Amino acid sequence: MLAFIVRRLLLAIPTLFGVLVVTFLLLNVAPGDPVTEMVGERADSATIARLRKDLHLDEPRLKQFALYAGGVVRGDLGNSYITQRPIIRDILERFPKTLLLAGSAMLLASILGITLGVLSARAPGGWFDRLGLGVAYLGISFPVYWVGLILILIFAVMLRWLPPSGYGGIKYLILPAFALGSRSIAFLARVTRSAMLDVLGGDYVRTARAKGLKERAVIVRHALRNALIPIITVLGLDFGYYLTGSILTETIFSWPGLGRYVVNAITRRDLPAIQGSVLFLSVVFVMVNLLTDLAYAKADPRVAYS
Amino acid sequence: MDPALSTDVPTGRAVAYIFDGLTRFTADAKVVPGLARSWEVTPDGLTYTFHLHSGVKFHDGSNFTAKNVVSTFQRVLDPKTKGGRGWPLFPIKGAEDFAGGKGSSINGLAAPNDTTVVITLKEPYSIFPKMLAMPVNSIVPDNAGSDFGQKPIGTGPWKFVEWKHDDYLKFAKNPNYFDGPPKSDSLMARIIPEMSTATAEFEAGNVDVLTVPDETGKSWQADPDKSKLLQSAPALRFWYVAINTTRGPLADVRVRQALNYAIDVNTILSAVMAGRGAVANGVVPPTLPGYDANRKPYGHDVAKAKQLLTAAGHPNGIDVDLWAATTDQSPRLSQAIQANLAEAGIRAKIVQRDASSVREAARKGAADLYVKEWWADYPDAENFLFPLLHSKNKGPGGNVSFYSNPKFDALVDQAHREQDEAKRNALYAQADSLQFADAPMAYLFFYKDMYAIQPWIHGFAVPAVFSGQRWTDVTISK
Repeated sequence: MLAFIVRRLLLAIPTLFGVLVVTFLLLNVAPGDPVTEMVGERADSATIARLRKDLHLDEPRLKQFALYAGGVVRGDLGNSYITQRPIIRDILERFPKTLLLAGSAMLLASILGITLGVLSARAPGGWFDRLGLGVAYLGISFPVYWVGLILILIFAVMLRWLPPSGYGGIKYLILPAFALGSRSIAFLARVTRSAMLDVLGGDYVRTARAKGLKERAVIVRHALRNALIPIITVLGLDFGYYLTGSILTETIFSWPGLGRYVVNAITRRDLPAIQGSVLFLSVVFVMVNLLTDLAYAKADPRVAYS
Repeated sequence: MDPALSTDVPTGRAVAYIFDGLTRFTADAKVVPGLARSWEVTPDGLTYTFHLHSGVKFHDGSNFTAKNVVSTFQRVLDPKTKGGRGWPLFPIKGAEDFAGGKGSSINGLAAPNDTTVVITLKEPYSIFPKMLAMPVNSIVPDNAGSDFGQKPIGTGPWKFVEWKHDDYLKFAKNPNYFDGPPKSDSLMARIIPEMSTATAEFEAGNVDVLTVPDETGKSWQADPDKSKLLQSAPALRFWYVAINTTRGPLADVRVRQALNYAIDVNTILSAVMAGRGAVANGVVPPTLPGYDANRKPYGHDVAKAKQLLTAAGHPNGIDVDLWAATTDQSPRLSQAIQANLAEAGIRAKIVQRDASSVREAARKGAADLYVKEWWADYPDAENFLFPLLHSKNKGPGGNVSFYSNPKFDALVDQAHREQDEAKRNALYAQADSLQFADAPMAYLFFYKDMYAIQPWIHGFAVPAVFSGQRWTDVTISK
């Protein structure tokens, strides 16, 4: 197991280097000039030229990349062009908030989605199954920004139960977590349902029932445990996406997370902030994938890594 | 929130709460004394003597003296600060050299004693005191380091308390403010990127004052309960279509005039902007001296547009690119303009990119037409005429029409030197008429800001310049 983890971590290095190269190239090809954004609408050419020189933007591309990559290797992601603060401080300040939002969304999604899926699978074709199907279709079809705005309208403006936006205690967390998790709830419900239907037809389920186990024990201990692999896949993938791409949700709910930081950095052409965030999020994605693989082994003893 | 790095509107607003300049703007776009009690200028217009308030303290308790003014201006210009906005101080003798890394001090800047600052300009620049009220020229204490923007310390009416990035900014009353403390105890600026969310916060009663988006404004104006809460005032914001006067058929003044006749500004203003604005008849807004009420806007006249195009040798119309950002009202404005132009035989292809890319292309001279907005930095007609149209400012300086007319330049230069206000305003009006006939842009409208204010808030006035509202007179009864 340990050897497996070490090997996977080593394999992540070329992946991350690739991310570094591609981000750098894309940002250099993309239109837009960071210095233009620094100086604002009215500027003089001397200041622009001086800033370009200060930021090494007048150097050949290869040298710029070497300078940047050299910094990254030493653990220095550089400073923001706009605020001149170290990027790593900005990221570490915002990532926990994104983690909290993504984690809550996943928790909500796993509880609601798996429950919905299991209950649907118990009586396929029944009224609950059909209701679950309807809910799942809605959840998958509605885009997150629409769900978010409707939630704000209903629960914050009309009912006034929850604040419309902002960051704070749990009451600030409920609406964005639900909006972000809505797609996963739907998706998990469907995946759980079909995985459960597969295993519920198995001999060992019949045996478990035959030996007189309560239905609850049959479902939770015998069936669900065996249906876990596809569920973990969905959870792992969605969690990775939520950590790296909750931009819309964070914008709508004014959640001060990393997604908004990246969007702001892109609109202001804050190159080191964009590069640093993308690199950081790639590390997160690699880690989540690794954890997902380890979870497979935990859920199913037949899966073994060496 | 480091004044020396402030080049955008949100930062400028916050800087105006915490800091003072030698002068400051009022909500109705006047320039009044700030840290300087008074000033006088020599008859040649070259030397300004500012008399400062004494006994003013920074929020950390240290004393404000004339030395802070000198070191602040040096800091703004110092290449090590990596600030992007030295130009408001460039009129000072030696400032531009200092910013370029030449020389260790600024010749034209002296503090003979603790309450006097003497500034010598390289040439007369009559609106210089106005530029000192810009956020970038706010006075900072001596110990301002590189992390100053995270923990700003000024002399202003509000002390900085907390900045939760991307969430909110919190300020507390400065009880010792030299100009009288604010009437409320604290001030909080929420940072809400999505306008519909901000509107929801206002409707839920969590936000006291809201800048109202155009669409919402239209429906709220029709709602008797909501319309009571609305307050609106002309802003120093100008929407126009920059015409690159160096590209193809656009070099012909007749073609540029045809563009102006083709666009139905009145209809666009009411349909797209909910009527929030006044049709432009030049670049100087009606609220500023130098505005000429007798000049007529081009008006909507398709026949005349076609006639001018034919006269210019384009009986079958022309093809142009119309660049627009993806933000604000740019996409909708550009579509409306495209439809108007088509009626006159001008086939405009919309090029829609993010704001930064469009700006870059326009500055390089790669855009034919560019739908854009200009926010004034200081309330003076010069802030429209000079950056947008003087040949010195082609490209990055703000003149993305690449307009160059020596007569126009001469008038604006003369206004810079003119000490007599009435004469200066006459020069502005003359310059505005001159360029209006040359049509280096399609003139759209001067925007009106609209705010919604909760009934429990009193004493708020919609500012004409973004840094002109400091919330010192605002009270709450709840």
